[in-house]
Amino acid sequence: MTAREATIRRLRAERPRSRFLRASGWAVVGLVAVSWALGGFLAEPAWSAGRAANLRRLLHEVVPYPLQGADWSWSVAATWLGGIWRDYLGEATFSTLATSVAAILLAGSLGAFLVPWAARGFACPEPFLTDPVAPRWPVRLAWGAVVVVARALLTLLRSIPEYVWAFLLIALYGPTAWPLVLALALHNAGILGKLTADLVEHLEQPTLAALRGLGARRRQIVFAGIFPLSVNRFLLYLFYRWETCVREATVLGMLGLASLGFWIQDARARNHYDEMVLVMAAGGLLVTAGDLVSALARELVRRT
Amino acid sequence: MAPERALVVRGSGPGGARLAVFLLLAAAGLWAALVLDLDPRRLWPGREGWQLGAEFFGRALRPALAREGADLPPDLPPLWWQATRAAWRTVSFAAAAMLPALAGGLLLGFGGATAWWAGGRRSWLGPAVTAACRLASVGLRSVHELLWAVLLLAVFGVTPLAAVVALALPYAGTLGKIFAELIDEAPRGPAGALRDAGALPVQVFLFGLLPRALPDMTAYSLYRFECALRSAAVLGFFGFPTLGYYISASFENLYYGEVWFYLYVLLALVAGVDWWSGAIRRRLGR
Repeated sequence: MTAREATIRRLRAERPRSRFLRASGWAVVGLVAVSWALGGFLAEPAWSAGRAANLRRLLHEVVPYPLQGADWSWSVAATWLGGIWRDYLGEATFSTLATSVAAILLAGSLGAFLVPWAARGFACPEPFLTDPVAPRWPVRLAWGAVVVVARALLTLLRSIPEYVWAFLLIALYGPTAWPLVLALALHNAGILGKLTADLVEHLEQPTLAALRGLGARRRQIVFAGIFPLSVNRFLLYLFYRWETCVREATVLGMLGLASLGFWIQDARARNHYDEMVLVMAAGGLLVTAGDLVSALARELVRRT
Repeated sequence: MAPERALVVRGSGPGGARLAVFLLLAAAGLWAALVLDLDPRRLWPGREGWQLGAEFFGRALRPALAREGADLPPDLPPLWWQATRAAWRTVSFAAAAMLPALAGGLLLGFGGATAWWAGGRRSWLGPAVTAACRLASVGLRSVHELLWAVLLLAVFGVTPLAAVVALALPYAGTLGKIFAELIDEAPRGPAGALRDAGALPVQVFLFGLLPRALPDMTAYSLYRFECALRSAAVLGFFGFPTLGYYISASFENLYYGEVWFYLYVLLALVAGVDWWSGAIRRRLGR
């Protein structure tokens, strides 16, 4: 064995290993294998004559109705598109966009409000001081409880999918825009709150400890220390989550409230698959446009 | 109060552009409120909504542990068994979908990255493949999994395969987009050295780029699995037998206790995977 081989072997033997990671890896492989083995996904052949006929019918019905069985004509297609846009598509596209904007702003506010209670370095007897005068145990216990409750609330908010929140809230509010806005806002407040709380826990401690050491009160630390240090990352998260808000806002309407999803469900119920696919495409364009705007906005924030 | 205000002003830093961003956000919020006719007074639900809300949220602390309702058929399985089966289907749909999603995501991510050709010989092939892969990622991703499900239902009917394909298509697009970004952000030194030594793009990818980007890609894939779990549950609202199916059925039967039982099962699943992936991320140093 040459010296080089010996070195390679030694390095291999010394590589960092974690039993937990290895077990997790095998657990993932096992889970996927068992799912495919027992899930019945291939119980019947994926492709059959019936499904081929379904696909042919779908592809036929996806063609704009005035053009089905006729020669393709751009002017007829444009008239068809313009009619639907004026009928409902334009309004639905804008209300979907507005839903996502209102939701993300509400989510950002609610999430930011919960951050000071959920960030461990801050929600403690002496924020950010590494070596404080030991406070009495009831004080420590009380702050510990605050963090646990705030974190549990954030977990509850984000574990329930937007669609389920919307389903539950529609029953409460009836047909206004609030249930959709609130559903998106609650789920994303959980995510933004958690991400930002984690961020605050990992901020430069010395700066913030110095503020406290100088005798700054909590409110002063929040506005003079935490806000300027974390606002850029917070805005990046906000725009990232806004992209998903646009995506989700297109489907939440399927529960029966005015947004693109409502008209998708409506066209599906009327068996007008051409309109259904058109609304889906409008949603896809809106999502893509949202991604672009968000990427531009994030670039702007990064430069500041 | 005076020193506090001074601190705030000095603390907010060189924020002309930041102020512009905040003003734009405020304007966008105002526009949205006008378009949607969002009346803050309507945030307080009406009397009927309030009654229903009290009834429903009142059951949050008293979830049903057995089936609600009278005159149930005797051969109905108990609630816990139904919930366990629905939870398993939710997990298995999500886990099964991650396999094709990861395969597609790796292909699209590798193709969509610029790192495997940038700096090498000039050729039209690299940029063309990158553009095609990015376009495919955007297209797959821009259609929501529920909409893919609606389309696939028309062809496949309510079958487990339709659910898995509906989840896998947009997730492959999302994974492809993020993988491409992560691969491009990873240090390129080793990849450049391999390419200069005459390695094929596949070899550059496997031995030069992938190892550096792998921890971040693993962390992101785990996060997507958590999302897949939630999406699989929601597919239940479209007739697939996952948790969402039973949540909507129980809610429509006004069995609010059962709804909360299913919601807590979903919560436990998501929070469990969240904890697990967090533990893995910490050990990966991410």
